[in-house]
Amino acid sequence: MLQYLLIFLAGLAGSVHCVGMCGGFVCVLGKDSRGPAASLRRHLIYNLGRVTTYCLLGAVVGTLGVLLVGHDGEATATSLAQRALAIASGGLMVYIGMQFLGLFRGGYLRGPGFGGDILASALRQLVKAPGAGAPLALGTLNGFLPCPLVYAFLAQAAASGETLSGLLTMAAFGLGTFPAMLAMGGIGLWLRPAAPSMAVAADSAVSADPLSVRIDWRQYSLCIAGGFIILLGVITFARGVLPMSAHLHGL
Amino acid sequence: MNPISTCSHCLLAIGRLGQEREVNGEKHAFCCYGCCLAYQVHHGEREEPDAALLLIRIGVGAFIAMNIMLFSLLLYSGTFGVEDGATAHLVHSLLWILTTLLVIVLGGPFVAGAWQAARQGRLTSDTLVSIGTLAAYGYSAHQVWYGAGDVYFDTVTMVLVLFTLGRYLEARGRVQAARSLAPMLAAERAEVRAVIDGSDTMRPVHTIQAGAVLRVLPGERIAVDGVVVEGRSECDEAVLTGQSEMQVKVPGASVHAGSINGAGQLVVRATTDGNATRWIQISRAVRSALARKTLLGETVDRLAAAFIPLVVMLAIGTFWFWSGRVPFEQAMLIGLAVLVVACPCSLGLAAPLATSLGIGIAAQRGILLRSGSVLERLARINAIAFDKTGTLTEGRPKVLQVSTQDAAEQQVLLHATALASASEHPLAKAIAEAGRGLNTTAASEVRAHPGAGISGRVDGHIAAMGSVEFMSAMGWPVPASLQDGPMESTHVYVGWGHRVHGLIALADRLLPEAAEAMTALRRRGTPVLLLSGDREAVVARIATTLGIPEWRSQLMPEAKVAVLQDWAERHGPAAMVGDGLNDGPVLAAAAVGIAVGGATDLARESADVVLPERALGNLLWLFQLARSVRESIRANLTWALGYNLVAISLAMFGLLQPIFAAALMAGSSVVVVSRSLRANHRASSAPAAPIVQTAPV
Repeated sequence: MLQYLLIFLAGLAGSVHCVGMCGGFVCVLGKDSRGPAASLRRHLIYNLGRVTTYCLLGAVVGTLGVLLVGHDGEATATSLAQRALAIASGGLMVYIGMQFLGLFRGGYLRGPGFGGDILASALRQLVKAPGAGAPLALGTLNGFLPCPLVYAFLAQAAASGETLSGLLTMAAFGLGTFPAMLAMGGIGLWLRPAAPSMAVAADSAVSADPLSVRIDWRQYSLCIAGGFIILLGVITFARGVLPMSAHLHGL
Repeated sequence: MNPISTCSHCLLAIGRLGQEREVNGEKHAFCCYGCCLAYQVHHGEREEPDAALLLIRIGVGAFIAMNIMLFSLLLYSGTFGVEDGATAHLVHSLLWILTTLLVIVLGGPFVAGAWQAARQGRLTSDTLVSIGTLAAYGYSAHQVWYGAGDVYFDTVTMVLVLFTLGRYLEARGRVQAARSLAPMLAAERAEVRAVIDGSDTMRPVHTIQAGAVLRVLPGERIAVDGVVVEGRSECDEAVLTGQSEMQVKVPGASVHAGSINGAGQLVVRATTDGNATRWIQISRAVRSALARKTLLGETVDRLAAAFIPLVVMLAIGTFWFWSGRVPFEQAMLIGLAVLVVACPCSLGLAAPLATSLGIGIAAQRGILLRSGSVLERLARINAIAFDKTGTLTEGRPKVLQVSTQDAAEQQVLLHATALASASEHPLAKAIAEAGRGLNTTAASEVRAHPGAGISGRVDGHIAAMGSVEFMSAMGWPVPASLQDGPMESTHVYVGWGHRVHGLIALADRLLPEAAEAMTALRRRGTPVLLLSGDREAVVARIATTLGIPEWRSQLMPEAKVAVLQDWAERHGPAAMVGDGLNDGPVLAAAAVGIAVGGATDLARESADVVLPERALGNLLWLFQLARSVRESIRANLTWALGYNLVAISLAMFGLLQPIFAAALMAGSSVVVVSRSLRANHRASSAPAAPIVQTAPV
């Protein structure tokens, strides 16, 4: 369980990152005319859709991990494959974590070629649509937007080598992002007219030079998230490198 | 013509299975579900609720599908415990409920499409998807109800999701094919900035009447034919004339609808009504060309129509074969794989996509094709016949030479221009053109003598201009020095004060690009024939100058038809290039009739291709384009047929899971689309016909 707590905390700290990309949608997701409870429901539905997507992705990569390494015992060819997968996933997580710390800015990990721009532009028309279906659709499709944070935890889920633990990894991460996204929604409701400019400000903070003096709370939080991801990455990496008898599996 | 006969999204022709739908208050027609989907996804920026509806449907469908896949994955991975029958049954029941929702949300459009086709007595790929998914769904529901065996709700889910995604991706690719045509087809719906009482008002272009004053901002497409009143800019007229150079526009210059304004702002006074411009005519012509089915397309459609019942029979046969040898579920899955892997979509896409790409590429160079089948015929052309006047020559006489006797050249031109400006005769117009800039006063008491000449009073004395017979009839002697003019030219005598003072020689001049085009054709070894109604000597000289080995002169229009048909029998299918004014019959009789020049009325049905004025250089390029379109279609067909053959064989032998089959099928259409787009890219970036710098003229 410690592992999932770590992931939850990493998600919590890392969710400041989400504010940059997904925060725009959340801010304008709007309030329901039927009162704050209905508005809250709208945002919860949105987040439910988003986390469901993460869960499925986690379960899929977890299953792929199973298919790749199998359930066999140690000292077989599949155990070598498992180690290789752990090393690769751990390496990827460390790399992404370092990006959060402001290193390797040049090679910023971009989404796969699914066309995040098209998806984002298509999502824009969903935010204002009424009914419960729209926020659900928005959240579900939103989950597919390219995001380095999601990739980092997907790598972790793949290395877990089990469908259920892959799912739980992503669920823990998704739940970790809940508070920040809900808070963003709340801020969006109160600061309605100022919302677009806020989203822009958040974006510019992402692109700011990490070495500049202007390191704000956001940057700190991203550093914490990066630290968590690196820690998880190192543990995963170690699982591949160290002898199996060290039994870091329990972590 | 029905204004919505092409798909609002991909601009391809709508078959019998089109869908009509209102989006954002406008009526639209779509050729398929994918286009309807993609159109609404990409035109929802205005936050219209009905545009978002479809996207919500997909999003909710994705949510349900993900839950189904999640539980299925957990089920397969043994998380719920294999022995625990009660939990498994609970999960199965949950999956049943979720899949029922999904079949309604994502399967609905496919079933609706299949139903629409069925009522017309046809089977389509929608039918295959519907049968396949409903069979798997029904069987799984039956299993859950009796609490036994495996369920295939995940297969139903993945097939539906992959097909929906495939349709969407295919439609996205198709729209790229027509992107270059979009402004042309939207010509009738364009809005213009009318200057009314000093302020600008946006008006639909069809409400603009001749005389209206419009403002054109930098970078905008000009929507009317008119004259620049104010401002200075350069315009890109490539889409009308095929010329890539920017044309300078200053007050007084004429601008043409369809050209794109450069960096300056222009104020333009319309000279024609907004719905009568050549640009609008082009728009209508291209639209109807796209809407027309091609011969090959028709054949492929029939093939695809026969293909689907065959696939259904194969699937049933496969199921029957396997059901005796393997467990029932496995036999059903194999049959299902056969159903979903067979993809007539890529077959049906192969021809129309490449053809509309071809029409679009040609239109960007100002070349209009009457229909897609013209491209098919162009690719088979072996030989080309040319008309002379207006095609290889300018079609207008020009003053070649002025000879004088006891007078200055300027004096002769002065008298000639004074008389000529009162006449509409082509020769008179050419003389007036030559004398432009001279300080002439118009002649008075002008009398035209049809077929002979013209007389009148210039500067107080009688002057006359015309043939040598006309001069003798006037009783004015022609001096010996003026008896002979240049060969193969028309001679006009000018006289005043009871004497002939000058001789003006006029001739039709060869177009410089004609020589280039002929040299290029000769290099390729294409047989060329020159057909003309003109005198033997004139035709022979032109043919010799251009290096054309075969020519026929003094032909009446009907005789041209006979000569062309005779010639085509020896050389194979022949195209005829003419100006479309007096050679209508021969253009219609040729395998492909190509009309050159803006003079041609686009509505004229005899020509299959309309080339812009002075675009003979693009002739070879056009043939190359037609051939590359044909190759692209052939490659697409081979690919689609081969793909189906392999995929169906694999599925029939039970080597393909239905989910992979659906993924393969969604992939095949995308591959055909992207193949065509690549071919498009190659063709449009190819240079025009080789320009020969040293023209032998």
